[in-house]
Amino acid sequence: MLRASALTNKTQIDLAGVNGDESAAGTGVEFGTQLMKFAESVAIRDESALKAARDELLQVAGEAVLVDAAGVAANFQRMVRIADSMGIPVDDLEERMGKQVREELNLERFPSAHNSLSMG
Amino acid sequence: MTYFEYKDCPVTIREDIKQAHRQYWDKLAAPGCWWTGIERAAIAQEVRNANTCQYCADRKQSLSPYQFEGQHHSSGVLGKIALDAVHRITTDQARITQDYVNNNTNSGLSNEAYVELAGVVVNVFSIDEFNRALGLDLEPLPEPVPGEPSHYRPAQAVSGTGFVPMIPPDGATGAESDLWSKERTGNVLRALSLVPDALREWLEVFAAQYLPIAGMTNMFKHEDRAINRMQMELVASRVSALNQCFY
Repeated sequence: MLRASALTNKTQIDLAGVNGDESAAGTGVEFGTQLMKFAESVAIRDESALKAARDELLQVAGEAVLVDAAGVAANFQRMVRIADSMGIPVDDLEERMGKQVREELNLERFPSAHNSLSMG
Repeated sequence: MTYFEYKDCPVTIREDIKQAHRQYWDKLAAPGCWWTGIERAAIAQEVRNANTCQYCADRKQSLSPYQFEGQHHSSGVLGKIALDAVHRITTDQARITQDYVNNNTNSGLSNEAYVELAGVVVNVFSIDEFNRALGLDLEPLPEPVPGEPSHYRPAQAVSGTGFVPMIPPDGATGAESDLWSKERTGNVLRALSLVPDALREWLEVFAAQYLPIAGMTNMFKHEDRAINRMQMELVASRVSALNQCFY
């Protein structure tokens, strides 16, 4: 969806931000570095990193951005748990963009890839 | 008591988020399809216990989730199988397998009960995560409402996609016609459909925390959001990657 939204917006992004590269996260995405650090600290449950990331995002982007980012991060903490606990496969493993992104980010290293790859 | 007022919150919380969280708390307290209100509240409490459970922390680090036996940090209301399912989904979901779900079924946790339990886990977890992300205390859990579960199961649910039966893409008909528009669905939307109310409940929270399903094709900035779609998807992708999400 990140790549799809970037293509729609005709914006060059660097997917390495998804794997934690700070400068890549800032490529083409306003407050990208701060948003990435905030998302990361929510997901890894590091409270001191979270406080620092929250303060920084609030300072550079303001409270409305912080609240929306908290909502999205909280939502995606849920989505992966739905997908993995129900064992759902990717809808279309052959879809070109999805396949490219999975290869680029090496997502097959994750244990839950089995739920999709075993269906293929 | 009115929940989710966010009175002491140093930042302004959007009204639709407050409302979605409040509505979910009301539903959490009431009997569901396969669990009573007391049991649903107990599942919610175990989500919180899981985050401080030493056994879960040790298990997460182990090569296999079956490497050693241990005891969960628990409030003692749920049975052993349900308790482990709540803790697994909360802290080690990536290693849940078909065998795990089948073994739970053989031990008395039906697919339907498992799906509703998962629905409660993920909603409570995401609402708690929202508060945690903003540095806020967790909301007190709601007082359970007495009553019995309905045992409602959609007749059209079938096996074959994931670990549990689901409503097929063309099966959102009759009482389930509100779940998705005609055949426009995806596996993640169908995942909890064995318990349609579990799906309805997450969709309401999903719409407030992220986007309404109807707005998913809008890749630009939504009017009522402060961040554009690329910013949203960067946050979503980083969280998903750290959770080892292949989907």
